[in-house]
Amino acid sequence: MTPKVAVLSGFGINCETETAAVFEMAGASAEKIHLNRLVSGDSSLSQYQILAIPGGFSFGDHLGSGRLLGNRLRFGLREQVREFVKAGNPVIGICNGFQVLVKMGLLPGDDEVSLSQTASLALNDSGHYENRWATLEFDPASPCIWTNGLKRIRVPVRHGEGKFVTDDLSLMDRWADSGQLVARYVDPCDDYPSAGDEILPYPTSPNQSWRNVAGVCDPSGLVFGLMPHPEANHSTWLGATWTREETTHGEGEGMPIFHNAVKHVLGG
Amino acid sequence: MPLKAQIRTFEVTTRELEGLPDSRGDSVRSMLSSDHGIEVGSVRVILGYQVKSDISETDAESLVYDLFADPVIEVGSFKSRLLDDFRIAPDAAIQIGYKPGVTDNPGQAGLDGLKTLYPRHESAMVATFRTYAFWDVPEGISPEVLASSLHNPMIERASVAGRDDCSRGKWPTLDFPSRPPASFQEPTTVDLEVSDKELIEISEKGLLALNLEEMRAIQEHYRDPRVQSSRNEAGLPPDRPTDAELECLAQTWSEHCSHKIFAARIRHVDNETGESSTINSLFRTHIMQPTLDIQEEEDWLLSIFHDNSGVISWNDDWSVCIKAETHNSPSALDPYGGAITGIVGVNRDILGTGLGARPIANTDVFCFGPPDYSGSVPEGLFHPSRVFRGVHSGVRSGGNESGIPTVNGAIVFDERYIGKPLVFCGTVGIMPRRLPDGRESHVKTPEPGDVVYMVGGRVGSDGIHGATFSSLELTEESPSSAVQIGDPITQKKMLDMILEARDAGLIQVITDNGAGGLSSSVGEMAELTGGAELDLGKVPLKQPGLSSWEILVSESQERMTVGIRPDDCREFESLASLHEVEATAVGIFTDSGAFTVRHGETPVAHIPIHFLHEGCPQLRLESEWDPPVHLPIETPELDPGGMGGLLGRLIARPNVASKEWWVRSYDHEVIAQSVIKPFCGANHDAPGDAAVIAPIQGGTQGLVISNGIAPRYSDIDSYAMAAASVDEAMRNAVCVGVDLEMIAGLDNFCWPDPIQSSKTPDGRYKLAQLVRANRALDDVCRAYRLPCISGKDSMKNDAMMGGEKISVPPTLLFSLLGNHSDVKKAVSSDFKSPGDSIFLVGETHQELGASELSFMLREEGIGGIGGAVPEIDPKRNLSAYRALTSAMSDGLVASAHDCSDGGLAVALAECCFGSDSGASVDISPLWSDCENLDSWGALFGESLGRILVSVKPDDRAAFEDSMGEISCHFLGEVSDGDDITVFRDGEQILSASMPELRSSWKGALHGGGPR
Repeated sequence: MTPKVAVLSGFGINCETETAAVFEMAGASAEKIHLNRLVSGDSSLSQYQILAIPGGFSFGDHLGSGRLLGNRLRFGLREQVREFVKAGNPVIGICNGFQVLVKMGLLPGDDEVSLSQTASLALNDSGHYENRWATLEFDPASPCIWTNGLKRIRVPVRHGEGKFVTDDLSLMDRWADSGQLVARYVDPCDDYPSAGDEILPYPTSPNQSWRNVAGVCDPSGLVFGLMPHPEANHSTWLGATWTREETTHGEGEGMPIFHNAVKHVLGG
Repeated sequence: MPLKAQIRTFEVTTRELEGLPDSRGDSVRSMLSSDHGIEVGSVRVILGYQVKSDISETDAESLVYDLFADPVIEVGSFKSRLLDDFRIAPDAAIQIGYKPGVTDNPGQAGLDGLKTLYPRHESAMVATFRTYAFWDVPEGISPEVLASSLHNPMIERASVAGRDDCSRGKWPTLDFPSRPPASFQEPTTVDLEVSDKELIEISEKGLLALNLEEMRAIQEHYRDPRVQSSRNEAGLPPDRPTDAELECLAQTWSEHCSHKIFAARIRHVDNETGESSTINSLFRTHIMQPTLDIQEEEDWLLSIFHDNSGVISWNDDWSVCIKAETHNSPSALDPYGGAITGIVGVNRDILGTGLGARPIANTDVFCFGPPDYSGSVPEGLFHPSRVFRGVHSGVRSGGNESGIPTVNGAIVFDERYIGKPLVFCGTVGIMPRRLPDGRESHVKTPEPGDVVYMVGGRVGSDGIHGATFSSLELTEESPSSAVQIGDPITQKKMLDMILEARDAGLIQVITDNGAGGLSSSVGEMAELTGGAELDLGKVPLKQPGLSSWEILVSESQERMTVGIRPDDCREFESLASLHEVEATAVGIFTDSGAFTVRHGETPVAHIPIHFLHEGCPQLRLESEWDPPVHLPIETPELDPGGMGGLLGRLIARPNVASKEWWVRSYDHEVIAQSVIKPFCGANHDAPGDAAVIAPIQGGTQGLVISNGIAPRYSDIDSYAMAAASVDEAMRNAVCVGVDLEMIAGLDNFCWPDPIQSSKTPDGRYKLAQLVRANRALDDVCRAYRLPCISGKDSMKNDAMMGGEKISVPPTLLFSLLGNHSDVKKAVSSDFKSPGDSIFLVGETHQELGASELSFMLREEGIGGIGGAVPEIDPKRNLSAYRALTSAMSDGLVASAHDCSDGGLAVALAECCFGSDSGASVDISPLWSDCENLDSWGALFGESLGRILVSVKPDDRAAFEDSMGEISCHFLGEVSDGDDITVFRDGEQILSASMPELRSSWKGALHGGGPR
């Protein structure tokens, strides 16, 4: 069986091409599908085993990034999304897709999939959009199926609103304990493991996210979202410093994330 | 019973949580400090939404946190002012909103969000505003001064409250920006049987930008008895044009659309050589002909000059295209709106190429006045730092929100760009060679009977007269209607939909609606079938009441015009509806020989296609060349440390300094294809030369995109300027390992008005500069086998403000699109390891004329800019480029960086930034190229054809072998330390500390905020 991936498109999503491509490279069959085809019933999420919400500038990021697309999902696709998640299918949101998942309440989420928002992604402390490379470290104790076995990867961040925050500090502790704060910015010069709560200096932490959080998963570990773009490091020649390194060319550091989801669906 | 529509105001601001700053406010504070020298204590920003609807009170309440405010990090209100909630009243409060009729993108998004929640409220309207609250404002800084730094009165309104008002809670308030209804004017006719003087008056009063000869050609047309009889049949007055016809002809014949100066017959006199000759069209002679000659020997030039962009065959499966445009006049009036409209506009040129190409990369080049300019700025113009920030912000929004990476660019500074900034926006596109239905995608296939659709945005009174306005100089009276704000999201939805329609085989013909609106887009495509009929009554409008001619020529954005077979209309419309894109049938293509327009039942225009496109009389112009005279450059006596200090000053000049702060805020990696990025090196901050992208994910065949621009040299000779521009684009492409067998160019000329007149007494000289630049382009492109596949010119880059005329220096931007055979072998500019050998490829001559150094020394009070300007030897350069790219494909080159502004010394420092290293070099070998070289020429001269290369010690012998007879000097080694040292004949002549150079280079153009 080849897992089928629904890669959402439309309304200013703009990373659907490369997001579909990396799932194909990982052995899945990916289909770009306009949100309205799901809303109208033309297509249904039940035909797919993985859902990806790619990066982009849905609705121009106006009224807060991911908010309007999150509302379209929250009000137009509520039951489809809940059923999809409750059925144990992996979901990933990257950058704007992560913002959508947070604002519609699917991340960090809860066991009931109640779709109520508990965290947010605020403007970077720099006050503006930036494209730069960062190093991520993953929590080995996390239930996240997407990051299973991964230690560190280098990836570009490309956002203006990526500072992970919440208004209830006790939630941060709860999410940390349950391994939901799965991806953090780290200084690549520090020895592994180095992920910590103290906010790293700019630009090692590009947005001054609380506890250096770059990505989170839901309690089940199936729904995962992150601000950086693992799909943009699908091949070694896309790295930031590959011309300085002795490299055997092939898949880039972002690919294991997508392989993990495909393996999970295949029962591996 | 429906409730009466009422206006409610919603406000949102950042919640006060520890560790959550108001970053919008902080950005305003740092902008005030870095651009205006105003230090305020703190700033808070409140976002506001005015909603005009008949929504109920309960539903309105729910909008606060379901739509407008983020429940976790923001507070929202809808019945009270958030300004009341601050513990200490601010010293000043300013509210800023759009003027009625100006595009409000966040407002549109808010409306869409409202309809997601309450679909019934179709007729609701949303307008946005921002409120800024300031604390600890310095004495003497009035709220009006703060407001002027935060808004552009041409498109925005401001309401201010000072200390007294704030202490009494009297807050600034703006009304809902209701658009006044347009007043429909019945179509009128224009009597052209008048004196020559009156003909000119008609043109000037109507902003038609037509000269007397052109007005007479139109007059003559309406005297033709055959024309008169066909007009009678069409129900139009036989002997005179309607207002719509005159507007349509003015748009089509505008300099902007028909490039009359490049098509002119020029009598050229050269007083230096005694030449006296006639040139019948610079474009045909020097741009088109060389390309046609190259096309005879190459099979990869698919579509050149006639479509919205030039198309080349990249491989068997894909073709690629490139186009660049300028958006100078609108960017002078509203830097943000002008620039965003420019970038999304050129994206549409790509979408409108062939049957539709996908934009995959943007490249942006700007020319501004110096950001630290301290002289007086003429009334009606913005300070260069304001223009810089606005243009940057517009291009950032336009590119990022469209999902098109900005892969490459440049920013050039010169005081003469204060009058008109130059904003070049370029885009590369890709399309499958063949569509699923077998048609070649670069060929349009319209047939009579195909239905004309207008797709995307609606038509409004914005953007009327853009084409003719940009064909005139900028004055205090320049119309604000020519300013627009692009809407990337409407366009993105349209782009997704069009490409899906293309792949479904639905599109017969497509072009964009840019300058001249429907009159141009339908008028141009009508040439393909031999006619078109258009009904203005069917065109969807932003506001009712627009007059016929306004609908015909309005340049409202985000619109494409598409031809669809009648059988496919239903499928096309349902695709549009899926994507929530408006697509309306507005006419039909015919073979009647005429472009016919009606408004409902009323005939509006009937213009023979031939007259529309071929009727404009050829301009006859005169050009005369006398070489200019400048004070010669003078150089001081300096010890090695002094030379190092001078390098530190040179490297901090805006033309040389790092643009990282600005470029970082462009997305340069979306589409996951970016191999050589704008930045490289250990710390990701060294400048890349050309961009390399691998647009097919997983594939290793790449595209190279580079730019060259050297306007300084025009002060001495525009031939040298144009040659240097082409060579710079080539050098940059060579530095990353371009495949020299497939390179294509793009010429964008921005000139001051070169037509002799009382307003332009030096027109003949400026035209001679244009002639010389074209000759250079011809010579160099032929020699490099670099065909120009598309281009553009903007010929009125002058501003007349308060009696003062400011003209831009003659500027050619040359952009290059080339193939890369294997991106895994691409080379970056940063030195790699201590111990690597440093070589300079290419010859160095004593060429300091109009160099960056000469301008700096002149500004510091010594000498002038006169001297030998870099001279091109394209044959010699090409041999070097061939040898070097071949060494790269053999893996022998560790780094390569082009020598341009600031010469060898600057290039050396930039390569060191990338490796966190120093370098020790001996430049004595350069004297074998040129005996009369001095150390200044060697270090800071800008001779063309030179690339600074580093090679691993193990590869050195093989590299030297592969360079053969090419001039290639071993200079020294990359060193471990923190210093650059330069020796000549054993004696140290320059010593500089890398950390100091780095901080000068990175600090000069920092835009504020965290470092």
